[in-house]
Amino acid sequence: MNKAVKWLSGWASVLFCYYSGVFLSAHFELVLPGTLIGLFLLLGALFTFHIVEPLVSNAVAPLLKHMSVLFVPAVLGVSVYWPDIQRHGAAIVVAVVLSTAFSLGVTAKIASKFMRHRHPQGDRGNQ
Amino acid sequence: MSDILSTTLSITGGVWLSLTLIAYAAALVLNKHCKGHPLAHPLITTSAIISLALLVSQVSVANYQTSASFLHWLLGPATVALALPIYRQWQVLKHYGWRLLLSIVIGGVIAPITAWFGLWISSASAALQMSMLVKSITTPLAMETASQINGTPALAAVFVIMTGIAGAIMSSWVFQLCKVEDTQAQGIALGTVAHAVGTAKALQLGDDVAAMATLGLCVNGIVTAIVLPLFFISA
Repeated sequence: MNKAVKWLSGWASVLFCYYSGVFLSAHFELVLPGTLIGLFLLLGALFTFHIVEPLVSNAVAPLLKHMSVLFVPAVLGVSVYWPDIQRHGAAIVVAVVLSTAFSLGVTAKIASKFMRHRHPQGDRGNQ
Repeated sequence: MSDILSTTLSITGGVWLSLTLIAYAAALVLNKHCKGHPLAHPLITTSAIISLALLVSQVSVANYQTSASFLHWLLGPATVALALPIYRQWQVLKHYGWRLLLSIVIGGVIAPITAWFGLWISSASAALQMSMLVKSITTPLAMETASQINGTPALAAVFVIMTGIAGAIMSSWVFQLCKVEDTQAQGIALGTVAHAVGTAKALQLGDDVAAMATLGLCVNGIVTAIVLPLFFISA
């Protein structure tokens, strides 16, 4: 298969999953967002057909790598809420900084407790 | 969709789209120059450059958003594409099983609740409070979930990026303070609490740490996006 065909079929699979998800979510009035259903459809496709992985990875790798740029229009939209943010600026910063530090610590502590028994020696071999 | 195509192919659409991509390329160079410091995150630099350009050219944000709607549309397929990292880390996920999932879920519950509490006691508006609940998950899912629970996607995006940067900057200090030396556990915490920015930080600690962070990011994003609307949609 030449490069362009591979690239196109990768994108076609992603778009097919995406629009199927959006359609299913809207048609059955599901609580689950369409994009998430699309994600599960793609995950299912990846497990079912082994050929999908290289195709999709080839097509969307740049998209995943440079996802940050996609948020620019949305982030700029925040200017509409500027007065609201300014009024609670201190609370927002404190909430974000404190809760993030706290959650990082607790999650890491819990994870290291839970996973102590499973690694690193011995288990690596059977992978 | 046809609207997006016609604006993208129009002259103003093309100009703003190219400008955004050029600004992003410059932001990447700056980020590399700062050795990937979280404060030099490309999203911050790019947004700053575009804000400045909008200010100078007297173009409104709403007009810019219409011109750059193609970028916004790409968020959908990009979210779907997150299936790829999950598929690739499936072996790791299977290996650790519930231990990994439970760690991620606990972190995914603590982070939004503590942040929401901070805003609740300062009696911030409902839109602020709701948008804060999604702050620890990856931006595309956060924006989608925020709009479902009557939060604001734009606010959610800003909180998400603030969280990521705060998390990546404070992580080494927090791990030292809590005496967590296990790098895999550090990876899980970084991905679960500080999503993609945390995962970038985890990458500096090693590939296996980044793998854990990726799982944290994906699993927490999915679980939060499923659970939060169930709580608030009927309310």
